[in-house]
Amino acid sequence: MKAAPGTTRWLLGHELRLAWYGAALKAGGKRRPGMAAIVSWLAGWGFLHLFAFSLLGKLGPEGLRDPRMGMLAGAVLLVAATFMLSNALKACVLALFERGDLDLLLSSPLPSRSIFAVRLLGVTATTAGLFLYLLTPFAHVALALGEPRWIAIYPALAALAAVIACAAMLLTLALVRLLGARRTRVLAQVVAAIAGAFLFLLSQAYNFIAHSSEGAAAERSLRALAQGGLLGPASPLWLPGRAALGEALPLAGLALLALLAFVATVGRTHRFFVHGLQQAAGASRAPAQPASGLRLRFRRSLFDTVVVKEWRLIARDPHLISQVLLQLVYLLPLLFLLLRGSDDPGTAGGAAAGTAAAIGAGLTLLCSSLTGSLAWIVISAEEAPDLLRSAPAAARTIRLAKLAATTMPPLLLVALPLLWLIVRTPLAGLLVSFTVTGAVIASALVVQWTGRPALRSDFRARGKENFLCTSFGLLTSLCWGALAWTLVTLVTLTTPASSWTAPVAAAALAGALLTLLLAWVFRHRI
Amino acid sequence: MTSDTPALQLHAVRKQFGRPAVDGLDLAVRRGELYALLGPNGAGKTTTLRMVTGLLAPDDGRIEVLGIDLAREPAAAKRRMAYLPDDPMLYGKLKPTEYLEFVAGLWGLRPEQAEPEARRLLDWLDLSKHAHELTEGFSRGMKQKLALAGALIHQPELLILDEPLTGLDAAAARQVKDLLLSHVAGGGTVILTTHILDVAERLAQRIGIIRQGRLIAEGTLAELRERTLGNSLEDVFLQLTEQA
Repeated sequence: MKAAPGTTRWLLGHELRLAWYGAALKAGGKRRPGMAAIVSWLAGWGFLHLFAFSLLGKLGPEGLRDPRMGMLAGAVLLVAATFMLSNALKACVLALFERGDLDLLLSSPLPSRSIFAVRLLGVTATTAGLFLYLLTPFAHVALALGEPRWIAIYPALAALAAVIACAAMLLTLALVRLLGARRTRVLAQVVAAIAGAFLFLLSQAYNFIAHSSEGAAAERSLRALAQGGLLGPASPLWLPGRAALGEALPLAGLALLALLAFVATVGRTHRFFVHGLQQAAGASRAPAQPASGLRLRFRRSLFDTVVVKEWRLIARDPHLISQVLLQLVYLLPLLFLLLRGSDDPGTAGGAAAGTAAAIGAGLTLLCSSLTGSLAWIVISAEEAPDLLRSAPAAARTIRLAKLAATTMPPLLLVALPLLWLIVRTPLAGLLVSFTVTGAVIASALVVQWTGRPALRSDFRARGKENFLCTSFGLLTSLCWGALAWTLVTLVTLTTPASSWTAPVAAAALAGALLTLLLAWVFRHRI
Repeated sequence: MTSDTPALQLHAVRKQFGRPAVDGLDLAVRRGELYALLGPNGAGKTTTLRMVTGLLAPDDGRIEVLGIDLAREPAAAKRRMAYLPDDPMLYGKLKPTEYLEFVAGLWGLRPEQAEPEARRLLDWLDLSKHAHELTEGFSRGMKQKLALAGALIHQPELLILDEPLTGLDAAAARQVKDLLLSHVAGGGTVILTTHILDVAERLAQRIGIIRQGRLIAEGTLAELRERTLGNSLEDVFLQLTEQA
């Protein structure tokens, strides 16, 4: 039955329709998903069913009823929850700052409570969607294997998503109240990025501790926690997992919690939601003029002027900041490796050589990827290309300044780890400096030669927009990363290196140069 | 090069985008005048201005800016003119002061020359109190005024504007019009396109009307009236563009 226009149900239908179009646009660039997209979704889902069957089929009905399954499901939901929080925060930022339809909705006779409730439901659906797709095949397979209670995965995931969506919305609105809309937009995206990387960091920290002298003590503490009940099968930590496997009480508790969180969030904060939107509307207006008055800093050199302008634009781009911070977060495990490497008595051993090679490849890949992102912002997403072209400034100077603005931040970022590596293993350090520099310059040149003009707001979708540029960028990163790995392996091993190392290094260098050459050849055809 | 040299001269300029957008256009704009280039949508006005400012290369013909051949010495020509398109060329994440610093850098102005001019323009256009805000939050009128400040910071002899008054409120439009008249009074030349015929009627000393990439009429308002027996510029414009 069709809902009457102007009702909450009608608005919910509108929201779902927009979400459907949004998903289709992300997948293939059309408003409605094409047949190919639907078939690929279904094929993927079918494959997930096969995967679930391959895991659960081995366990049999008895295995499915094992109480430890609740712990496993709890751990899976804990992992899912961190990614859900990341997605929910992004969805809240989108709902509050980036959707252009809220002015229209709030100027309509619809009550703000309904608008907020529907928007929060939208955030919940966005948060739950991916995990329903990934985890419900397990429910279906368990049903087929005679364990119908696992169908509770559906309500448990929906309830968990609702709780997390409410938490994310409250966090975003609280940040708006504390910091103002402009800072919240940046901070929420940074928190979302860190939440997404949280488990990766946790696993890396565990690896780091496990290898250290404190490793045994840490393991003893974990065992004690498990025996003491905090991590044991009866721990409340695993209640969401037990709810997902169909235990009535935990499931009812989780559903009640979700309902209360939703009702309380809508009831208590819908007015503040409107206030948050009003702040967001004026977010780009900075505070009043400072007491110091008008400050102008004109520069004598065009090169400096362009570099400063590009850095200002980069520093004020919340999408890019969150992306850069996420990459920095992924850099942390490399620092763990560095620290662990420093504990080794020397670098001559195989393990230390492997560590140095991993650090070299990691730094090279990271800088290359970061440069690609920066180059896209600085070169492809230039906001006023006509201003540059209508100016009497030398195009060559502008191009060089843009390349410098793109390549300097990644190089500065890794300067300290590189210096540390040079001090410890001079030859390996110098070789990694070479590969990092080569990768950074090559990545920037690839974007300059094969990039297409784009809008800054398309930053997230940049990979899909220009297949050639993306492919050349990826190849460049991989070749320089492989070169770093093999060169460091060659110079740090005391035993004779494998016969393949030198040829692979030569192939990687040839690949890197060939990619650059191809990018240059294709530069006029784009 | 003498002071008799036109501020802008186009000799049989052509540009095609599948079909001719500008078709053998001859045009001369004198120094120190405000010239309005009018025409219906798709007549080739913006294409003409983009060729004059070096943003598009003509397929054929020659363009001279203040006696300088644009194709041979583009930098010398660009140094003496400024272009303000319909959509202001701004950076949303820059503040007005930072934008002016950047534009001054592009035109190679010395700091001691740029700073007083920037302060004067920001004050004159009422932008000083917004100097610490990002331009992404500016209204259409404020953006247009800032872009105009950027265009004027190097004190160009030739100012080219494409629809400079579109979307401006009365106060902002008045400021922009005053600024253009003051530029002409100071010896500068202004070429503008507009769909607001009243503006051209009040401001322009000479008016050129183009249709399908060709100049179909040119002269003072009185001359055009005489030719068409129309009363207002609107009558003249409609008669000429419909006749052609």
